[in-house]
Amino acid sequence: MIQQILAGLIIIFFLSKLINQWKKKAISFNEFIFWLIFWVLAILIVAFIKQIDKIVINLGFSSSAINLAFYIAVLFLFYLIFKMRLKIVKIEKNITDLARKISLKE
Amino acid sequence: MKIACVIPAFNEEKSISQTIEQVKDLVDLIVVVDDKSSDNTKKILNSINEQKLKKIYHPINLGQGAALQTGNEYCLKNGFDVIIHFDADGQFLASDINKMIKPIINEGYDLVIGSRFLGIESNIPSFKKNIIMPMAKIFNILFFGIKTSDPQNGFRAMSKETALRIKIENDRMAHCTEILAKAFKYKLKIKEVPIKVIYHEFGQKFSGGLKIIKDLILKKISG
Repeated sequence: MIQQILAGLIIIFFLSKLINQWKKKAISFNEFIFWLIFWVLAILIVAFIKQIDKIVINLGFSSSAINLAFYIAVLFLFYLIFKMRLKIVKIEKNITDLARKISLKE
Repeated sequence: MKIACVIPAFNEEKSISQTIEQVKDLVDLIVVVDDKSSDNTKKILNSINEQKLKKIYHPINLGQGAALQTGNEYCLKNGFDVIIHFDADGQFLASDINKMIKPIINEGYDLVIGSRFLGIESNIPSFKKNIIMPMAKIFNILFFGIKTSDPQNGFRAMSKETALRIKIENDRMAHCTEILAKAFKYKLKIKEVPIKVIYHEFGQKFSGGLKIIKDLILKKISG
């Protein structure tokens, strides 16, 4: 129970940060919705962890729900890093093109 | 035929004037691309009053590959027929320029690559010669089908058609592999020419080689 409260508090902290960023218009609407769904799902998993445990066992998995959540989280992080890498490459290319244009105009 | 020599320069205050002096009589134009040097390279370049010299300054440091591409684009825009890539640190001999451009002018080759392993002895550091270079060679054969004797050599000459087809996208040091990989992919006529390299320092280290591999893999993944 204490672990669930702690996890809930951490998620609420991140949610408040997210809302704050949205209010400051630091992130786009699509990005806001994406992370909102992500954290709401996380809070639901934490709140119904025992019920999810039962579902996981019924599905034939040997690990507990929390382990499964971690596996999914790690996979998700890898995906995010990959997406970020692609974005950085694109930005780097744009910077190179821009710098080249400036240097050739001088 | 109009011949230009592109020299990328990053912190080359000790050698840039001498390199320009040695090359200027062998080509129609020298294009020095200063890659935002933090030493006095820019100051020295500004003090050189030479008609055959075009100075280009990157506003930020982009890398050697990017500097070469900037030089290529300038040469293409200004109607040059043959483009030479030459290092600013004085490790190549300007007297080798003629034999690098001859196969393009007289024999119709698209790309000429200098090689340290075709008869002429260079004072290559032994760790580099016996460990790093053979490993780089195997990597180039396995992953890019590059079968030249010295794929990491930065001394090259290309026709304008080749420069138009091969756009260097690897900004940093992976451009040697990239240029050759594209040349093989487009089935260009490639010739290797023996050249001499004088080592003043070790040059590309093992860690640099690993960084090149990382850059090439990431470029391949991200298309």
